[in-house]
Amino acid sequence: MKLNLYEDKKNINEHVDVYYANMRPVIRQIIDSVNKDRPVLQGRPADEDLDDGEELILDPSEIYYLDHIERKLFAYTKDGVFRVMNTLASCEEMLWTYGFVRVSKSNLINIYKIRQLKPDLNMKVYASFDNGERICVNRSYKKSFNDYLQKMRGIM
Amino acid sequence: MQRVKQFIIELCCVYTLISVVGAFVNIITGTETNNANVITMFLSCAIATFVLYMHRLFDNVSPLVMIIVQYLAACFLCALMILGLSYFYGPVTPWGWFEYFRSFTIPYIILAALYYYRVFSEAKKQNALIQEIQQKSREKNSGEV
Repeated sequence: MKLNLYEDKKNINEHVDVYYANMRPVIRQIIDSVNKDRPVLQGRPADEDLDDGEELILDPSEIYYLDHIERKLFAYTKDGVFRVMNTLASCEEMLWTYGFVRVSKSNLINIYKIRQLKPDLNMKVYASFDNGERICVNRSYKKSFNDYLQKMRGIM
Repeated sequence: MQRVKQFIIELCCVYTLISVVGAFVNIITGTETNNANVITMFLSCAIATFVLYMHRLFDNVSPLVMIIVQYLAACFLCALMILGLSYFYGPVTPWGWFEYFRSFTIPYIILAALYYYRVFSEAKKQNALIQEIQQKSREKNSGEV
């Protein structure tokens, strides 16, 4: 994508024009950034108390998956596990353009971080990530997972 | 109500398929069926479809466990059904039991094997799709920098 930047110190009406062929996730992300709607996930290291831990801004592209355990949501990244204060449903809605898809009642995975999708001998299908962890793709979500992949391929 | 409708539709499909295959087998082997067999076949289809329809209860266990448990449940219920029918049509011989379980088990194993193959082939396709999406994303990101 071609990027033109024009610096004008006297400009009092800063604006961004986006010329696009179709509304791909990357275009949606640019719009979100301009509108300040870019999803921001704030998390605290999971091993610290909520009040003591330093709050960090999590980049969605760095998250492997989100796991909902005992009414708490955790984000798994290369740098560790972070407690996120959003709900799983809101994250699903907010992050679908960033490659996040629901694969079970309690898991949202980032397809850009999947190393391999592999069934076990017991026929359970697991998504393996770069950090060596695996998340099971539940049978009930198989169709929606497949539809999501087709949709993402279509709009890429 | 929706589930009952779906169950009835599935039962109709299964029974039709089994009847047609049964008719072909009869033509090839030169055998004939009778009313008792037709009723037994329909009740077996209804039990097997009902048991397989319960697959949602097994979402949290592996498909292999689900297949085995459903097979055992269907076998048990069908055996009860045959015992019930034997009061009307006379006792079932040991060979009759063997024939029944053989004709029940063979299609079940074939269908389970097909399901097993489908799980692996679908995962392979989805894997290829994920690699393609990741590749496209990498190309786009490198082109944008």
